[in-house]
Amino acid sequence: MKRLRIERWSGQLLTPRTRTRTIQPCCLRQQQQKLASYTARSYSSSSAAKHPSPDDELVFEDEGEHPELSASDYPSIPSYPSPLPSAALESAKLAALHARLGIPKKLPLQTMARTLVDPSADPHKHFNNASLAQLGGSIMSYHVSEWLLCTYPRLPMTVLFAAQYAYSGPKTLQLVAREWGVETAAAPGEEVDPGLLQFSKLEPGTKYGANREGGTVRPDSRSYYRRGISSRVVYDDEFGDAIPKLKDQNEPLPAELAYSNFVKAVIGAIYLHSGAEPAKTFVKRHILSRHLAMPGLFQFKLPVRELSRLCNREGFEYPVARILSETGRLSRHPVFVVGIYSGKDKLGEGSGPSLQEAKTRACVASLKAWYLYSPGKDVPVPSDMESGKGAGERGWEPVHIDMGEVIH
Amino acid sequence: MVVQGIRKVTAGQNGVGAFILQCKRLDFHYCDWAGSSKGMNSFIRNHLQKFASANPSIEISISPRPNRHPVIRGHYINGREKAICVRNLEPNQVLKKAELLRDASGEKLKSVKKPVKSINESVRGVWSPYHGGGMHV
Repeated sequence: MKRLRIERWSGQLLTPRTRTRTIQPCCLRQQQQKLASYTARSYSSSSAAKHPSPDDELVFEDEGEHPELSASDYPSIPSYPSPLPSAALESAKLAALHARLGIPKKLPLQTMARTLVDPSADPHKHFNNASLAQLGGSIMSYHVSEWLLCTYPRLPMTVLFAAQYAYSGPKTLQLVAREWGVETAAAPGEEVDPGLLQFSKLEPGTKYGANREGGTVRPDSRSYYRRGISSRVVYDDEFGDAIPKLKDQNEPLPAELAYSNFVKAVIGAIYLHSGAEPAKTFVKRHILSRHLAMPGLFQFKLPVRELSRLCNREGFEYPVARILSETGRLSRHPVFVVGIYSGKDKLGEGSGPSLQEAKTRACVASLKAWYLYSPGKDVPVPSDMESGKGAGERGWEPVHIDMGEVIH
Repeated sequence: MVVQGIRKVTAGQNGVGAFILQCKRLDFHYCDWAGSSKGMNSFIRNHLQKFASANPSIEISISPRPNRHPVIRGHYINGREKAICVRNLEPNQVLKKAELLRDASGEKLKSVKKPVKSINESVRGVWSPYHGGGMHV
């Protein structure tokens, strides 16, 4: 696979201070200011969600001819949809957040402030976190997926999708950001403290993306087509969900997505300012260190059949269920303990109130024991080789990746 | 498609990977006139800057609260807050109270009875009467 040269993209993502040579944000702000000087209240926080065109509220120079002008009709001080980069240096909240996360000092506060501005708050791509979130999201999902694949090499694809969602899905990232102590601003605007997360909030009772048209990016987007697992790997996102084709970045969005974009943007910003290794460490410390009970992600439909197919594929002997112990067979609370044997090897055991139930549980236990095989928690992952340390003196040893679940 | 994945979220374990200090903000309220704020005013003048630079992850705000006793109020990540009245305290005692608020988790105080609290499964497992030979009566 061709390697992406992300460092070539990064020019537009750097801080105001470093990017002055190339794109001159000051000029951008001056243009905005010039535009705003002709308009009144066009970018105030109350109208930020609507983004009216400048022609709507033109104030003419011959104001003296209008006797009934009120104070609000006079051109106000030009304001922007998000706080100025210079405001970031004076925000105690932002500096505290920067220190709390242990982010390298190389990442300036202005960029940190930019990660908190959602495209729904400021549509200008140089002042919102859309590009940083795109970059950080792919870095995070790369590290999470390589860690999951190397740590649990036999996970079925559906469970792998679920595990990826559990570690890096929007719900989890929202929890992460809340555990970092990030709060949301009531409404975006220039006057907002740069340490608050700014986005246009979805009104209560409205559904996100309800009136969105255009379907998904999948070529087989008809509703009656079957979405197989292999096609999800190719066409869909890292959680196996279809990617919507048209997405208006400026529409209001739920807090969950705004929080997750912020977390991704922080990772992207660390990558750009400090490099790949600190970004990986950050993902490890904040995302991969979280606790997930992996056996709880499985849901089997036909465990007995699946186990027999698995044994067949792997060349094990046909699995046989045997009663290990039982009590109160004729009472109200019988308990049977059943073990599943393949030849002389016990694959798993389970207990239940009936023989059938105990057998099913034993099959589930055996399947989980197979699928959840792990060589250990600190398995070398491919990205270890990119850092100078590598995988020790021995060099890279290919990791074992199993062929996955049984298909029958 | 036989085995399905169930969508869940991971649980945070603060301190296992990264450690996030739970106190996110400290408000210092003082009075210029009242004598009970004497120690607090001295603390703000002489000690607070050092305290703030030693704890960069805490947002610190100072505001007057005229004709009232001085108060330190801590805001925590879990949404709760704790306030300590520091009337008539010496600057060093005020510093102790500020450190107490800094180190608090923000949870309600409760007595810890079990030495270990864990979300991981027990390594030993739960005792079962149906395993391990059994006792013959």
